[in-house]
Amino acid sequence: MRSRIQRHLWPVLGERIPVRQGGPEETIAPEVPPLELSGRDYAIFLLRLAAEIEHGLMVQYLFAAYSLDSSNLAPERRPLVRGWQETILAIAKEEMAHLVTVQNLLIALGGPLQFNREDYPNDNVLYESGFTLQPLTTSSLATYVCAESPQNWDTDQARDIKREAEIAAGGTVNRVGRLYEELVRVIGDEELVPDGTFDEDGGVFQASWDAWGRGFRRSGQHRPGPEDTDAREEHELVIATVSDRATALAALNQVGEQGEGFENPAPDDDDESHFQRLLGIYEALAGMSESEQRAVIRNVATNPTTHLDGPDVGPEPAADAAGDPPAATTSPISNSEARMWAHLFNVRYRKLLVSLAHTFELAEDRSDVNRPGPRGTLINRSFSEMYNLRSIAGVLVGLPLDDADPGGRSAGPPFQMPHTLMLAHDEDDRWRLHRDLLDASGTLIGRIAAADGSGAGQDYIRALAQADRIELAQVDLLIGGAGP
Amino acid sequence: MIHELRILPPLAIARFGSAPTPMDNYDVVVDPDNPLGYRQLRPAETLVLDGASGEITETFVADELRFTENGRVRPVAPFLEVWALVGDQQLTGGGRLEALTTTLLEAEGASVEDLHWQVQVANLKVVRRTGERDDMVVADSDEFSDHAQRPLVGRCENFLAGKTIGFGHVQFVRPTAAHPEIRLRFTPAGGFIYGSNGPPPPPPQQPPDPGDVSDIVYDASKGLWDGYRDRDNDSRRTTAPGQIYAGFGPATAHVSHGYLDDGCDGVVRVTLQQAGRTLRAVGRIGAGPPTYAPDAVPIRTVGDELEQALLGPEVQPADATFARAEEIVRRAFETIRLMNTAVANEGTWWAGDGGPFMDPSLVDVVALENLHQTLLVALRSGTAPWFADVLRDHDQAADLTNPARRKMPAMMRGADRFPLALTRRQVDLIRKLAQGPLFTDGERP
Repeated sequence: MRSRIQRHLWPVLGERIPVRQGGPEETIAPEVPPLELSGRDYAIFLLRLAAEIEHGLMVQYLFAAYSLDSSNLAPERRPLVRGWQETILAIAKEEMAHLVTVQNLLIALGGPLQFNREDYPNDNVLYESGFTLQPLTTSSLATYVCAESPQNWDTDQARDIKREAEIAAGGTVNRVGRLYEELVRVIGDEELVPDGTFDEDGGVFQASWDAWGRGFRRSGQHRPGPEDTDAREEHELVIATVSDRATALAALNQVGEQGEGFENPAPDDDDESHFQRLLGIYEALAGMSESEQRAVIRNVATNPTTHLDGPDVGPEPAADAAGDPPAATTSPISNSEARMWAHLFNVRYRKLLVSLAHTFELAEDRSDVNRPGPRGTLINRSFSEMYNLRSIAGVLVGLPLDDADPGGRSAGPPFQMPHTLMLAHDEDDRWRLHRDLLDASGTLIGRIAAADGSGAGQDYIRALAQADRIELAQVDLLIGGAGP
Repeated sequence: MIHELRILPPLAIARFGSAPTPMDNYDVVVDPDNPLGYRQLRPAETLVLDGASGEITETFVADELRFTENGRVRPVAPFLEVWALVGDQQLTGGGRLEALTTTLLEAEGASVEDLHWQVQVANLKVVRRTGERDDMVVADSDEFSDHAQRPLVGRCENFLAGKTIGFGHVQFVRPTAAHPEIRLRFTPAGGFIYGSNGPPPPPPQQPPDPGDVSDIVYDASKGLWDGYRDRDNDSRRTTAPGQIYAGFGPATAHVSHGYLDDGCDGVVRVTLQQAGRTLRAVGRIGAGPPTYAPDAVPIRTVGDELEQALLGPEVQPADATFARAEEIVRRAFETIRLMNTAVANEGTWWAGDGGPFMDPSLVDVVALENLHQTLLVALRSGTAPWFADVLRDHDQAADLTNPARRKMPAMMRGADRFPLALTRRQVDLIRKLAQGPLFTDGERP
């Protein structure tokens, strides 16, 4: 784990710290705030860590959902798996909302935003073996369930699942809830975070439910009809704005309650937490025969990457004979068509992150309603890129990973992080970055279109090319006529 | 043998226009090279009907489409064709529809003279309000089998003596060797307004502009229309929104000027008397204002209503295709450009929570168009639609809370004063597709 993170994490993990390795047993208790940090700085540190974890979880869940395929089942069984898929996608969407809420908290505390995370595989505070992009299995589900579990989950089933998760993750799977519990403790403490810390005027830069929640409110949701065998509960997105301690604590509690389970859920609680929903899928998947599991889970490569000779390239992870945890590896996408799509995926993923980050730089301003509102445009573009990521992922899971192994694993969405998410100081230069990404996308679209005019996704790629041309013209307008 | 006759299309809607030359024919298509743009109008084969002879004298495809001629709107004048069910008696059992031609008639031992037409149309807008039968404006061509232009003269008991409203004319096209099909053309009226001889409204109301009307036809001493106003307690006659007739006064007591127009609708009947039997077919025609956005289709059309009435609120799984879902999203995209979304977001024409219900930064036309273009792009990838959950159900239209008003389609008004909902069948189509595979691996249904 990165020491710049770990050395401040002891209070979260709640462990005494050994003073020396291998010497006489001597430990010291963690302090809050950790030495080197003030209370506010510690809260910002924790929030940035929370953002990284929400981001990591979201992408893991998306990948897992994309790895499911209901079409190989008998028609009457398809809605079951399709329902899992939608449930996991809904959880990913809620993680996205959590990520946005954490940015609001950072703005309120005057901290830098955090959309960054490490590439997969990576080590982190949750799993010693790090986040992994992998097809859904009971083992991967076990790690997700444990990460989202409430503090006092300690049944026979809990012990079994924790054991399975430990083997899969190569060590203890920590609860995300611990991080939020620490955040509530720190931000709730007036001595650590004084009242004057909160920026009451930061609201114009924060994300609101009105702007980001769309129609996904629970009331008035689609009501399952008699034929809706995949009827599922709809859950509200938590996008909370923060102006003071009370709203900050409310936001943290909402996020915690929805996902990470501060407390054991009541049996009659309609609004199931992520933990409950994932546990439900775990139980259902575990109840399937092996052949049925094989039928519904695509043979998608683990940690697919465009980095052909990266340091982690290796065979599919597997526990060794001694049962030691598997070494985390990546799967280079050597099929040329799939690799072009994977590059395109990465560009669109970056475009999403840049749009998100850029949105938080712009205060709401509707002084000229006849021009595209930059903030509204960015918000809509962010959603557009989410749709694009799903579409391109759909192409990737249908393409082979390796030309030399046409019947083997398929490629998948790589979700590789860009070299930077820092935005330029000058607003025009920020828009130039959008133009750069459209240019890069255009190059890849051209290559994909030229490679095989009848291949998968050609209809889509033609439409995407036109959408990019339209956006390019708008971006040039926003740059102020500086475009070609 | 001919078993039955049909008039196709069974419903034809003409568009007003006072120019002498009807509008040229065109198709409305999605340009495959411009899938995110507006539909393209592509000139198509046009039949030129000579009014004097009743014959089609030529056909052509226009180089460019012009909707006006010397400042006047060119009317859309539809042809109705007679088709025959031949072969088996059932379409489902080997029977087939063929265009009725002089050749087919001859084969049956019949001739063009054995065909008889009758067209009856009416304008019932006034009688719908007043409830007075004498306010019906009716035109009847009487039975005919010649090929002259038959004016549709609208007569009304409550008109001034000798006054009528012209609803246009119909003409039985004379078949020729080049065009042996059996057709009738309906040419609508010019889209004129007609007035009443009633007294001007009392001051301080302004009298109606005499230039509004092309003729004074209504006799205010006979009928109630001039001076009529809706009564709030008569829900059979009021409309939502109200005041959709020309008049004066406050919203609660809107008084009619007594205006009428030359819109109409009605039935077309054709009979074939042959070998001691009579075959009959009925079609329907109507006339309305010109389409000023011909490259756009409303998100919910009369066609959707009819389809739902005929086939029910649920689609067959095989009919839940991406192309159909794309058509619905495309119509929403096309409609946005015709809207003032900033005003619509204020929701001033309905009750409810009040004030903007969408974040104002999201509802500018460009941002919304872009968003819908994105949906079109995504549907082309064969990815299951994810927006099924945010559609407004038919029985949620009257929910005016802000979360409900954000449902799709948003900011559009239905036939009443409530937000528009798609037909149940349209909603079901998208939901069926959403319940299908998340990815279709390039094989879009």
